Amino acid sequence: MALAFLDRDHSIAPAGYSRWLVPPAALAIHLAIGQVYSFSVFKNPLLALHGADGSAWNLKEIGYIFSIAIAFLGISAALFGAWLERAGPRRAMFYAAVCFSAGFIISSFGASTHQLALIYLGYGVVGGVGLGLGYISPVSTLIKWFPDRPGLATGLAIMGFGGGAMIGGPLANQLMAHFKAAGEPSIPYTFITMGVIYFLFMMFGVFMIRVPAPGWKPEGWTAPVKQSALISTHNVDVQHAWKTPQFFLLWIVLFTNVTAGIGILEQASPMIQDLFKGTITATAAVGFVGLLSIFNMAGRFVWASTSDLLGRKVTYFIFFTLGAVLYFFLPLTRADHLNSVALFVIVAAVLISMYGGGFATIPAYLKDLFGGYNVSAIHGRLLTAWSTAGIVGPLIVNGILDHYVANKLPKQDAYPLILHIMSGLLVVGFIANLLVRPVSAKHWMKETNLQPVGAAH
Amino acid sequence: MAEAVSVKKSSPLLIALAWIIVVVPTLWGLNYTVQNALKIFAKPAIPAAVPAVPNK
Repeated sequence: MALAFLDRDHSIAPAGYSRWLVPPAALAIHLAIGQVYSFSVFKNPLLALHGADGSAWNLKEIGYIFSIAIAFLGISAALFGAWLERAGPRRAMFYAAVCFSAGFIISSFGASTHQLALIYLGYGVVGGVGLGLGYISPVSTLIKWFPDRPGLATGLAIMGFGGGAMIGGPLANQLMAHFKAAGEPSIPYTFITMGVIYFLFMMFGVFMIRVPAPGWKPEGWTAPVKQSALISTHNVDVQHAWKTPQFFLLWIVLFTNVTAGIGILEQASPMIQDLFKGTITATAAVGFVGLLSIFNMAGRFVWASTSDLLGRKVTYFIFFTLGAVLYFFLPLTRADHLNSVALFVIVAAVLISMYGGGFATIPAYLKDLFGGYNVSAIHGRLLTAWSTAGIVGPLIVNGILDHYVANKLPKQDAYPLILHIMSGLLVVGFIANLLVRPVSAKHWMKETNLQPVGAAH
Repeated sequence: MAEAVSVKKSSPLLIALAWIIVVVPTLWGLNYTVQNALKIFAKPAIPAAVPAVPNK
């Protein structure tokens, strides 16, 4: 069969294959799909499009494109995680590349014929499935290649997802400017070009990815005999794992951490302008958003790597204690209190680094508790917490802001309330993290059951 | 006597090339973002003074 090279068996690394070739493969996928975070660059150009009858889309309708994509990221990660473990990362990454690129191509037809439903279907549904498959596909492979540093390995890949917006934003802007200057329809042509570029870039990852041979381990490394009680030497399959209290607690951990992060990210630009009226211009606010994206990306690598040394529970302990204090403190930096832009920026940057760190550390936490056997599938189901936070976070933020605006109250007074709610949410996450205990032995898989599924190596 | 098995290791050049392929676009995006981020430290432009209109 023409696509047989995608099979797990065809992607087993030969002896001597360097494990340092695997993170670039994972990064190629995550840097591409991370483009979704920069989708807002298309908002104004899409608003300016008109149909043959003169109709135009509004901001709310265009906002649904991103929401659908994130919702399908969570749904597809949850649905296809177990399949991915059987099919192997190369096949999953290939389908991710096909779906993500097809999403752009379908959307280009939607933009050129002014049919929003086609963009919902393309970028939202088909592209969203590509996001979900791409997000989880390299995770368990990386963990198997780096049993000595699982946090570092997954941090590297998931850092790519944070960094994808830094490439996707300017790339889209430059392509749109280029096609506009050439007198071509800028959005459809940009969508097609990005679809092709991202497909080629992701195919680099598809060809480079390898799974380690059964029994492979890093040279000179032996699994520690005595380690933390929270690092299991046993495996739990996805069907059992997601029914355990540990899965539920980690779901709360991820949900609260992401919702709190959205509290800043959702309104970063207007928030800094409202809290420092007259000091921060719209241009400076764009700079603030850029700074947050750098810390979001860096936090993923730094915190996940650090978690290899500190332990996952301690790392989240830091996120939730420091985070709760800083969210409480952040509104006090505003113009009518401490009046310190620098302090506001520093605190927000640290908070966003922990938001990114929460995403990147969770796969290693899952691996510690449930073993590496089904970690991608379990991670996929846990990502429903992200989708839920993606709905709940903006609901809290926009709901409070709308209330203040509707009642003609000063908008800047809404932010302390929003940030204090986020601080409270982190206290809930703190309790959930504190309650995490080792998985009961009744959920462990028998070692003889590991091979047939094909995911043990 | 056990026969020595020669294992062909991945070329360091290939490893470097693989990293370059992902690092170059990342640095391009990072540079763009840093340039934008620096704007936060720029002082807001002071509006130019309106020139006095001479009385005629």
